[in-house]
Formats: sequence, C-alpha cells, structure tokens
Amino acid sequence: MFVEDLVKGFYDIISKNKILILVNYDVDAICAVKILQCILRFDNIVYVLVPVKTVTELKKAFEEQKVDVKYVVLINCGGTLDIIEILEPEENITFFVVDSHRPTDICNIYSSSQVRVLTPPEDEEKIPDFEDIFNENESSEDEDVDSVEPDDEEESDIVNVNSVEEQQNKRRRLDQSTLIKRRERRRWEENRKKLLFDYTQFSYYGRSAAMLMFDLAWKLHRESVDLLWWGIVGVTEQYILGKTERMRYLKEVELIAGHIGRICDSTIINDDEDNMSQSSMSKPSNTSTQLRIESEKDLLLALYRHWTIECSLRYSMFTAVSLKLWTIKGEKRLKQILAEMGEFWFNNSILIYLRLPLAESRQMYHSMDLGLRKQFYGMMEKISNTHNLLQMTYPSFMLHQGFKTRYQCADYVYSMVATLETNSRENSPTQCFYNTMDSLSRSKKEFLDQGIEKAKWILSNMFRHVQAALDMRQVILAGPFYYLIVQEGTLHSQHYSNPHCLTMLASFALRAQVASSRKIKATRLPLIASATLDSDQDTCLIVGIPPITESMPKSFFGKAFEQVSNKTNIEISLDYFDSSIAKMQTKDRPKFFDALTALLS
Amino acid sequence: MYCDKVVELLKELERSREDTIPPYNNDGINQVLSEMKTLDAEIIDFLRKQKDNLPLDAIRLRRAAIERNKRCLMTYIWTRLQRLKEMRWEIGAILPSDVRQNLSQSEIEWFNNYCKTLVSYMKTIGSDTGLNLTQDTKPPKSLYTEVRSLVDAGKLELESGEVLILRKNSQYMLSRSQAEPLIRQGILEQVRQ
Repeated sequence: MFVEDLVKGFYDIISKNKILILVNYDVDAICAVKILQCILRFDNIVYVLVPVKTVTELKKAFEEQKVDVKYVVLINCGGTLDIIEILEPEENITFFVVDSHRPTDICNIYSSSQVRVLTPPEDEEKIPDFEDIFNENESSEDEDVDSVEPDDEEESDIVNVNSVEEQQNKRRRLDQSTLIKRRERRRWEENRKKLLFDYTQFSYYGRSAAMLMFDLAWKLHRESVDLLWWGIVGVTEQYILGKTERMRYLKEVELIAGHIGRICDSTIINDDEDNMSQSSMSKPSNTSTQLRIESEKDLLLALYRHWTIECSLRYSMFTAVSLKLWTIKGEKRLKQILAEMGEFWFNNSILIYLRLPLAESRQMYHSMDLGLRKQFYGMMEKISNTHNLLQMTYPSFMLHQGFKTRYQCADYVYSMVATLETNSRENSPTQCFYNTMDSLSRSKKEFLDQGIEKAKWILSNMFRHVQAALDMRQVILAGPFYYLIVQEGTLHSQHYSNPHCLTMLASFALRAQVASSRKIKATRLPLIASATLDSDQDTCLIVGIPPITESMPKSFFGKAFEQVSNKTNIEISLDYFDSSIAKMQTKDRPKFFDALTALLS
Repeated sequence: MYCDKVVELLKELERSREDTIPPYNNDGINQVLSEMKTLDAEIIDFLRKQKDNLPLDAIRLRRAAIERNKRCLMTYIWTRLQRLKEMRWEIGAILPSDVRQNLSQSEIEWFNNYCKTLVSYMKTIGSDTGLNLTQDTKPPKSLYTEVRSLVDAGKLELESGEVLILRKNSQYMLSRSQAEPLIRQGILEQVRQ
C-alpha cells in the first residue's frame, strides 16, 4: 500500500519505537539514510542500521535483527521483491519501503498494511488494477482448479451442502455455471499473465530516495543546507550514472532550485538589511565563509575542478565518446580544442599573453590562472558548438564553504562511487560503505578528497580499458546485442567485479562502440558486460544496459535473465537489487550468451 | 652519589604511559629507605664523635639528601595514587587484573577506601537514588549517540526493556549512558559527525 502522507503515515508511526534500517550499497541510498539519520537524531529514536548488498544479505540481516523490531525501513532495496514471501516476517512487523528501483512488486503495492511503499505512484508506472491481479474469493480455489479434476472440484464446492438430494440438482445447475465461470477465469488468468508481464518487463529507476527523505525533512521543518546537499547528491547520482533521463532530472532541478531559494536566501536577505545599515564592510566576509549552495550550469566534464583540464577532457565519458579520443584522429581533435582554447585566451586577456595555454591545461585546475578559470565555462560552451559537443552543459549545483575548494555535486558522486567500490583485502565492503557515508559529513573532508583521487584513477583506467577493448575488438556483436567480457588477468580487471564500475564501463563501451561503428543499427542495440566476481569460486558478474537510443533508460535484461535461467538449466542468481545485474558460474557464461541470443532474436 | 636510587624510581614512573600504573617497585623503595637510614646513622655518628669541631657542611649535605629522598618518595606514591584515582573515574570500581597486580597492599586499601567515600558521597546527591558522577564528566551534547559495532557482541538489553542485537558492522543509535561503557570496552565505536 502507498503512504499518502509522509509525516502521518510514516514518521509519526516509526518515531515511537525502535526501528531497523536496511540500506543498499549505492550513493543514493547512502544519501537517503544520512538524511533519515539526521531526522531521527532530533527525536532520539533508537535505530539499528545494517548495510545489505544482496538479497541473501537482506534475509540474513533481517533474521539476525528481527527480535523486538516492529518497524523496518528498507532504503533502495526490497521494493521489487515480494517482501512478505522472502523474509517471512511475523504479523506485527511493518515494512516501509523507500526504493527507487522500479517496477515495485505488485504484492507490496497491494499488501493491506504490512508493507507500505513511501514513493507515490507515478503515471508512467502503469500499475495494474487490483481486480486484474488478485481475485479475493477465488484465488485459493483457482489453484485447485488447475491441478484437480473438474468433478473433484465440484464436490469440494458442495461439501458444505449436506443434503444429498439437493446435491444432484445443484450438480446440473453447476455444470452450466462452472463452465462459464471457468472460461471467465481462464480469460482472467491470461489477462493477468499479460498484465504482469507488461508491468515487470522493464526495470528502471524512479525518483531518488534521497530526495524523498529530504521531502520528509522539509515537511517536518528540519531541513538544512547539509540535508539539501545530500538530497542533491542523490539526484545527481541518478543522472551521472544514467539511471534517469534528462527531462526528469531537469524537473527535479527546478524543485531543488526552489528549496535553495528558501533555505539559502533567508541569510542573503539579512545581509542585505545589514548592507542598508552601513555595516557593508563586514558583510562580504560573512557570506563567503557561510555554507551555501548555488545552482549554476556546468560542464559534463568529470572532476575538472580537481584535475587538469586535459585529463578531464580525455577521461570524461561524454567528451571521449563524442571526440572518439581512442583514435589518433580523436587525439588530434583534443589537441585542436586545447589549441583553440589557447587562442581564445590569447585574444581575450592581455594579462596572460606570455603563458602557454597548453601548459596551463596540463596543470591542476585550481592552480590555473584565475582569469582562465573564470572564462573556462563560457569558452567551453563556445568550443562545444563548433565541435559537435551538443548537450555538454547541464544545470548543476555547487557547494561553497568558506574559502576552501568548491565542490560540484558530480564531484561528490564520483568520489563516493569510487570510495564505495574500492574494497580490497584491508578494506571490507562494509568498511567502504561507512567510509562513503562519512565522506558526506563536512568534518571528514579527507575521505572525500581521497575518493576524488581514486575516482580519477578509476576513470583513467576505464578509458584505457575501453580503448584497448575497441582496439582488440573485444566488444562483440552477437545478433541482438553486444557483449564485452573483461578478461581475468588484464590490468586492474579485479576492479570491475563491482556492479557500479562494471555498469559505468559497460555504458562507456557501448557508447564508444556506437560512435566508432558506422551502422545505424548499432544505436539500437544493448550491451552486456561481464567480469570475474570471485576467481576462487569461479563466479562472474553480468550487467546489461539498454541501447542508447532509448529515451527512458529502461532495461529488459532482468526479465530476460530470468527467462534464460528458466529455459536452460544454468544457475543464474539474481541476487542484486538491480535486476539487470546477475551472478553466475564462469563456465556457464558461453552457454548463457547462446541462450540469450536465441531468446532475444 | 646520594639520591640516585630515588631519581631512578621517578624516572621509571615517568617513562610509563600516563594512563597505566607500572608495578610497585618494592625493592627500589626499600633501597632508598635503607639509604636514608645509613645517612641518618652517619649524621648521628658525626654528632657523637666530634662534639667540638662539628663538620657542619657534611651534616647539612646528608640532611638535605634525606629530605630529598623523602620528597621524591612522596612524589612517587602521590603520582601513583593520582593515576589510580583517574582510573576509578575512567574504568570504575572494579580494576582489571593486570592493574591490580601492579599495586601494593596499601594502595589497594586506599583504593577501596576511596571507592567507599565516592559512592557514599554520590548517594547523598540527588533525591533518592543518588547521581552517578562518573558518567558524564563533561556535559553531553545529546542524550543519544551514534555508534558502530566492531565485534559480534550479541544481545544488549535497552533501558526500555527491548532487546538489541549487536552485530559486527552495523550502526546503532543508543542512549549515551548505555553506549559509553561499551565504547570503553572496545565493543562499539562512536561515529563523529
């Protein structure tokens, strides 16, 4: 069932008791839980927080912690599963689901009270009606009908009627009515199957969980700049990692701009008053040391504020794909852009006529000339038009804090993804989870900066990997889809055993492949990437991403994987909350691809 | 040289970490005491032998050495007691066995007396149950705190009677009074904001 009012239907209920919070490993979920924690702190509510990566972990964590728990909050996990069936909870436990994964499982939606979905339903979701899916009176009998012979079924119907005489009369009458009934039922069954298939065919993402939690904070009047910033990071993650389409993001940005106006403006007005009352001298220092968020247009260049411009241009997915930087021609194009930049600077500024812009572009952004930095955005905008780099800019947000380096929300996202996915021997995945969570607190900037360094490393490696994959023709066309296998033993291949990194690699590789092939058909094909998950257990990870021409990033791989595993006897565990990510034995992989080709063509 | 032994004792104490108590050096103290006795005997010796022509400087030197020994011994004992007192506030009335081993008999006695005095004082504050002064030595910012579990510690009963299960790598919001002893034991870790 859907919760209408976040405060009455959710917060007022949980705030009376100890609660269990289960969180998925992704940036949006971490932002959401951070906001929720902040809200709970106001009311001193005792909670237990457990990070869960897979469905198995979810079950285990629930089993361990279910003693004395009445309310469970699931963040970005569990919405697409039938929670009651999987966890088998006791009657008095209520689940609140905050999940951006879609489609939400039909049983969760129509659960009478035990499962409550916090995200309001959207029109595009096309949730089937209750009557079409469930048949209250007959649902139990339905199953009997299929398995038991017709005569037996009638008898079972008639058992409650005791008299023997009536039985025969009734039998005749029933013969007629049951036939009609059965036909109706069959039609209903078919319709149900079709509806369910249509509903669950594609998996995609809905509204960011972090933003939903921010809405709760807003309704409780507990919002602050920090909370809003975390919400923004959640939204940006969805955009940067391609989980949501541009229109939806723009809509969200508008809402956020409203929030910024409300939260950050009040201080500015005060300052204006101060200004009037002649204290203008002290005023500027006040505003510049304050924490504030500004919305501005920014470039789709990864981390350029913390990197050199050359590197950022080279390793960002957007520019790398549009300029085809993996070819020699692409390399020339990059040089040309840098040269044009130099010319631009040369024409526009007398102060810097002695500097070599190429050298500038090779030093860290924050140590570049101030004049250059100020003009950088406008210049890139101009250059982008001449080089077919349309849609290079997008509305974004900046966090200003005192005189320190400014952070763009995309910087946070890259840094957090990198921190989340650098598990190694000394850093367990849970440790990474908490490090990521800590990097959101402003007092622990060092985690964020470390994350940015790691993100640079990951991005540059990813570019090299895609370049190598294209050169060696490792992106293979298998009829209805492309596939890319990250061979074990190639440089840094162990890194792609993490779902986020592999997804990023996959979408990079697909875009690069489409850009370098001349066929138009290529734009309509999806891609599957696979990498070794655990070399000891000989398992591998598969990620499917939708074709780039899809306006809405909907993936049908979840359903396809499921069908392949049903048809063949390959064991595929769809253990992740994202259904287009699956785990299987490496030796089954060729067979799996064959079966998938057969299914999709 | 006079007073070498006692300085050695103090150095030993200083070299140890602030929050620990090194073993009570019985031998060292006895040696210092015997040194003091010898010095005393020497002074008396001087006084007896030469009644007219007293070697005043020699007597003064020995006298000063005795005084210094006394002062240093007092410092040794006082510093140890201070550390012990701090431990009472940090750890509680029950000392860990490794600390207990390092104490002398009289120190243990002192400690017990100190505990008694403290408890009886704490009972008198507040209306009926008294007030545990050792709990919040500094005013806490909030009554609840966020903690992470470092080990699988098992069940924990909350003040409300509910049961919480402490598992490794989970995060909890607990009341400060309940979390603090567990943090000291190294079971939980506090999450700073």
